[in-house]
Amino acid sequence: MLHLSLLIGLVAFSILAVLIRDLLKSAISLAVASVFLAVLFFEMNAVYAGVFEVSVVAGLITVLFITAIALTRGDGDVVESRRHLAVFPLFFLALAVIDILVMKRLLGRIPAMVNPESGTFADVLWNQRTFDLVGQIGAIFAGVLAVLALFRRGEKDAGHESPRGDAPLAGGQPPAGDAALMGRQPHTGDAALMGRQPQGGSHE
Amino acid sequence: MIFLFIIVPLVMASLLPLVGKISKRFLPDLLANATMLFLLVYAVVSARPLVAGGGVVQQAFWFGAPLNIRLLLDGFSLFMLFTISLVSFTVTLYSIDYMEHYGAKADYYALLLLMIAGMNGLVLASDLFNIYIFLEVAAIASYALVAFGRGHDELEASFKYLMLSAVASAFILLSIAIIFALTGGVSFGTVAHGLETLNVRFVVGFCSALFLMGFGLKAALVPFHSWLPDAHPSAPAPISAMLSGVLIKVSGVYAMMRVFLNVFGLTPALTTILSILGIASIFVGALAALGQNDIKRMLAYSSISQIGYVVLGFAIGTPLGILGGLFHLFNHALFKSLLFLNAGAIERSTGTRSLDKMGGLAKVMPVTAGTSAVGSLSIAGVPPLNGFWSKLLIIIALVQAKMVALAVLAVLGSVVTLWYYLVLQHQAFFGKLNESWKAVKEAPFWMSASTILLALLCIAVGLAFPVVIHSWLQPAADILGKGVGVAMSFIGF
Repeated sequence: MLHLSLLIGLVAFSILAVLIRDLLKSAISLAVASVFLAVLFFEMNAVYAGVFEVSVVAGLITVLFITAIALTRGDGDVVESRRHLAVFPLFFLALAVIDILVMKRLLGRIPAMVNPESGTFADVLWNQRTFDLVGQIGAIFAGVLAVLALFRRGEKDAGHESPRGDAPLAGGQPPAGDAALMGRQPHTGDAALMGRQPQGGSHE
Repeated sequence: MIFLFIIVPLVMASLLPLVGKISKRFLPDLLANATMLFLLVYAVVSARPLVAGGGVVQQAFWFGAPLNIRLLLDGFSLFMLFTISLVSFTVTLYSIDYMEHYGAKADYYALLLLMIAGMNGLVLASDLFNIYIFLEVAAIASYALVAFGRGHDELEASFKYLMLSAVASAFILLSIAIIFALTGGVSFGTVAHGLETLNVRFVVGFCSALFLMGFGLKAALVPFHSWLPDAHPSAPAPISAMLSGVLIKVSGVYAMMRVFLNVFGLTPALTTILSILGIASIFVGALAALGQNDIKRMLAYSSISQIGYVVLGFAIGTPLGILGGLFHLFNHALFKSLLFLNAGAIERSTGTRSLDKMGGLAKVMPVTAGTSAVGSLSIAGVPPLNGFWSKLLIIIALVQAKMVALAVLAVLGSVVTLWYYLVLQHQAFFGKLNESWKAVKEAPFWMSASTILLALLCIAVGLAFPVVIHSWLQPAADILGKGVGVAMSFIGF
């Protein structure tokens, strides 16, 4: 019964996170859903998974979301399609039916685990899954580099504009320049990344 | 040591942002190209002898101490490593000139190297969860690279790609979790052995469906293709070449075929589903490409179509079909990279991707026009270029497997391909030169060198295809042809 209540809470707050239009409330709903999931993990003796879920997903990621939302100015004139409000319940119902009809039958057919790869958490992480750690380093590093690359200052802003060199622009064409090559409006800069309307380059 | 394929690009990726503080262009260009050249030479010289006996599982060492990292190198993974290294090398050569105007070249190369480390890790992985982890490494780097220009279109395309890719990852992860619950392990050997001893066809079918959706999304197979026509054209041209040339093949086709052929075993149901998806991809991609005016978008739809041929070849399951699929995978890596790089050269020189606005560019960009003609004729399957032989092998394999209707459809798809590539050539390069383009100049040296190299490879592979088949493709086809026996032979390593 406790598991069922936790699962219902998890699903309910996940749906709220999708449907609520206020980003802040949506992020908080996601954090609450994550707390429900963490309690489920604890209940099912997956203690480390529970700790990570609470600290990283419910904690750290929510802080990041809220910080990002705080840095973003609201845009009242953005018109969003509301079609998903009609489509989402249909998809949800269809998946719920599939879940009830198929997954229970499916999971019932899974036999008891034979010789599972087991050990202490540290043993599994450091000794058994060493290659995964290499991949995780790569994934984290890719994330860091992505932030560095996407939030970089433009070459012009840094005061070292690249020479045009041999990038001829045809007569009569608008000056392609860096902006045209990159398919963006001049001075969009970081504003576009932060979901703001471009306000010129002053923020850079 | 096979581990170098992963650790060298990873270490170089960590050094490049620091190097970028000292030298903005020269050192990043030099180091990135040197790394790619090293990986290419290493694949040819050092790794190839290791697969002579069928394949090895090699343990990695760190300063003499053994690590619990076991990498699987066989004909199939070596073939993929070679393809990745070859395309990556031409792309970094091209980037020397092309990426000048984007800025942050060191960060760009670092992300590119991380994507390559992710792909190399994926093809050397010997268990399902390793595949998932390295798939994510390559994917995260590719999201950033698609958005590297930071324009509205790039960011939107990258976000769409990220969202759909996350759905794909969720399917793959769920399937791996169920497989782990079933067999108690995730290594290829344990899973293959476990599934053989358990009578769980229904569950395996469900997991296959999840993998099909997950890897199908990564490979942009119809009907999971909607992200590709946005993501690939929006990226800088060398990244479009990498994504269409190798990433969709490694994270989609390689992973799918490794799991289906060597771990689960190809079933008649899978053959049917993959054949249908392959044919659907060929036609949906080709017909959509026909109606495009944006040159890079046309090439992106063409990638969906050509991936259909590759999957169709594998789906037949016969030795010749697998060989044809592998050969077309390699050829597509060459000519699609070439065509995307040419599209980048045109965009850089004229500032447009719209075919309507082009015309007569052959007069001012003869190298780009010439290499583009080679790429277009190759992909359309015109003899004696490389694309002809791979399509021929797939069609013969279909006829041999008594799938004559599919063979006819594959030929028709090739005709449509020829049609839209002739349209592309005609609109971009032939006819009267538009007044606006009189001042346009040919692409700079490194960009031209890269496209000439790829065009020469298309011609050389077409003329010397028996050598390529014997030296690179047959060992890979043999591994796939052995089915689950390959995974079984690695139990206990």
